[in-house]
Amino acid sequence: MKIKDDKYTGLFKFIAYAVIILTSLACLFPFLLIISASFTDNASIIRDGYHFIPKKFSLEGYNLVLKAPDPVLKAYGVTMTTTVVGTILGLFFITMAGYVLQRKDFKYRNFFSFVIYFTTLFGGGLVPWYMLLTKYLDLVDTYTVLIFPGLMTPFLIILMKNFIRSAVPDEVSESAKIDGANDFKIYYRIVLQLSMPGIATVGLFLALAYWNDWFLSSLFINDPKLYQLQFYLYNIINTIAFITQMGAGSGVSLGGDIPTETTKMAMSLIVTGPILLLYPFVQRYFVKGLTIGAVKG
Amino acid sequence: MNTRSKATAVLLSSFILASALSACSSNNNNGESSSPSPSESSASPSASAPASESASASPSESPAGIDTSKHVTLQFYMLGGEPKDLSVIEKKINEMAEAELNATVKFNFTTWTNWDQKYKLLLSSGQDVDLIFTADWTQYQSYAKSGAFLPLEDLLPKAAPKLQEFVPQDMWDAVKIDGHIYTVPATYKEYVNNGFVYREDLRKKYNLPVPKDIASFEEYLDGIKKNEPGIQPLSMNADVKGNMMDVFREVNDDTVGGPLPYGIGIKYNSPNDVYSYWGSEEQINDLKVIQRWQEKGFFAKNVLNVQDTLQDPITTGKAAAILGDNPTRYNDTKMKMQSTHPDWELGYTPFAETRGFATPVHPIHNGFAVPKSSKNAERALAFYEKMVTDKRYNQLTQYGIEGTHYTVEDGYYKMVGDATSNGFPREGMQGWAWRNPEFMLFDKSYDGVKAIFDQLDKVAKPDLFTGFAEDYSSYQAERAALEQVEKQYFYPLYAGLVKNVEEGVQTAMDKAKKAGLEKVQEAYKTQWLAYTSEKGIQ
Repeated sequence: MKIKDDKYTGLFKFIAYAVIILTSLACLFPFLLIISASFTDNASIIRDGYHFIPKKFSLEGYNLVLKAPDPVLKAYGVTMTTTVVGTILGLFFITMAGYVLQRKDFKYRNFFSFVIYFTTLFGGGLVPWYMLLTKYLDLVDTYTVLIFPGLMTPFLIILMKNFIRSAVPDEVSESAKIDGANDFKIYYRIVLQLSMPGIATVGLFLALAYWNDWFLSSLFINDPKLYQLQFYLYNIINTIAFITQMGAGSGVSLGGDIPTETTKMAMSLIVTGPILLLYPFVQRYFVKGLTIGAVKG
Repeated sequence: MNTRSKATAVLLSSFILASALSACSSNNNNGESSSPSPSESSASPSASAPASESASASPSESPAGIDTSKHVTLQFYMLGGEPKDLSVIEKKINEMAEAELNATVKFNFTTWTNWDQKYKLLLSSGQDVDLIFTADWTQYQSYAKSGAFLPLEDLLPKAAPKLQEFVPQDMWDAVKIDGHIYTVPATYKEYVNNGFVYREDLRKKYNLPVPKDIASFEEYLDGIKKNEPGIQPLSMNADVKGNMMDVFREVNDDTVGGPLPYGIGIKYNSPNDVYSYWGSEEQINDLKVIQRWQEKGFFAKNVLNVQDTLQDPITTGKAAAILGDNPTRYNDTKMKMQSTHPDWELGYTPFAETRGFATPVHPIHNGFAVPKSSKNAERALAFYEKMVTDKRYNQLTQYGIEGTHYTVEDGYYKMVGDATSNGFPREGMQGWAWRNPEFMLFDKSYDGVKAIFDQLDKVAKPDLFTGFAEDYSSYQAERAALEQVEKQYFYPLYAGLVKNVEEGVQTAMDKAKKAGLEKVQEAYKTQWLAYTSEKGIQ
């Protein structure tokens, strides 16, 4: 059966498709350039610039990595470990914190919420934080220092608290208590199941934060075997930037091999590639998790 | 929910959003806000330094004249990345250090990522650091002035007498800040003065003049532009201050050293005459030349976005000349270029030819200091003495293991394998500071640089500028504001992009004056004149 406003719907569809296609292409093009640049000969990049099809095909950007894959693989290992462990532990702690803070019968919840929130506004600063982690806790060159600081982000705690408050009505936990469940059982059996969307969101945030982190490596890790992936990549780029920045006056010359433009591009691909390939497979779990709580009785 | 709690809920959630967004950038901001920390937090450890010195006054029977009865682990910090085979070298060094000094050393590297922040934290957090690299570009002067390092003049005769003898007295004097020696300078004499770098084969082909000064350089660039339209005559990138302005002034305006901040002008031949380069006739004339170059098309219009190094376009043939580069990098570029294009030639004219003199690198340029927080200052110094004066330690940490990483052929250094397979390239630990000219091995290609150094030796004059330690704590805010003004208003002038130079300079000067230019220049002038009278510079 034909609906009256057909031509407007058609026009709308056309415009919508056009806008989305153009935006997607705009997002895609830089990435295509990176792919093409990573397969180009370095001298040709400097001379002729970036092109969609390599002017002079060459695999030299990948040589550096393929010849000595150890650092990259180790960095991958480190980042994957910290992401998985960090996300699981973090979710565990954050959901517990969120659950406790939203319980109306927790007398001091306002005080604790305030203290947690206060730290986002006023921090001790970089030096005291650095001193705490290096001098007093002595966590230099450990996995702990990569995982520990990101475990309890105040923003995520508050986010979780609100999720749980809206997902789990008081009546449900009250009735569970009447049925004789202790707090842990309520937490595990009811709250966790009901706040899956929240957990998915917070988990995603956490995983992204751990995956993208490089700052902790730069400050606390001296052992190259424990570098995170993003730090390793950033390092390579910075070596080049440092040389450019030092300018003409300082006479600093580096003995080691200085990566070229193509190596930069190749490294970026190697670092981001697997995630891009992985995402389509994982995507449906996120979507499912996010919508699972949407339709409720 | 009634309206009032609804309103508070909305307010709170907007706060949360704002704080969440600010939390994203807070890490970086905290780095900036804690920058005065070296002076604050090292004020307290200053009391412990005299105590440790008096405690170590008791001599003992060990060879270094210090007490080595207790085994210590020394934390050695260097900038940059570590070589692949560091652990092998570290083990070998520790075998010797254990036996001779009852100490083991851990070599740590800051990498080039955030190295300045890490450097600041290492010195200000009281962490265990026993030896750390210093240079003028790591702000040695300000760190020394704010007490981040231990004074060494009393420790040297006891802990490192050989080292004290090895370094000439004038070098020790040159690194003194406020009358104390805070770093052990490197003794290798090199020159980092700039010179014109240009394609010699193209010059010969079109019979162009040899670039000696700005005028002849411009003629050369004209020739290239006319005869080789596909090549960009001048290689230039986004750092127009460092790579264009400062270098231009070096050859054209007789600067005492550099880079001179806040638009200050001081000439080498009249060091006590401090004037404002910004806004002066001199600057306007210089800028007009650069603007003319931009108009003639010597470098790209979008130069402020170019991120290439200056040298890459030369090695690939995209550009023909560099305004100024130092001899070591020139040699590097030449080698790289000739490995892919053996028929191209690269010429070099040191600025010394027009200026009439060259200044060797100031002793502060490469040094090693003992931070205030170190608990093993004497052992650290004794170890450093070994690094510099003992051939085994020195060559192990500079070149690696003979046979595995390098071989010596005809007295020249030769790398084993190539840059990707070798685990310890030449000076792979960035050992610029502990070079010992007696033990140094050079690659054959370095002969070109040595020849230039010999040339410059003949006209060497002392570096007057690098020994100056600026104390900018009283005008830190204006300093930051001026940096912004320079980036925004002066950079387009430096890139030759402003058509009306006088107007452009006028606008920029107005903004600079509003940002506190006069106060900063006055303060700098006072400090500089105090420095020249202290050092007896006429």
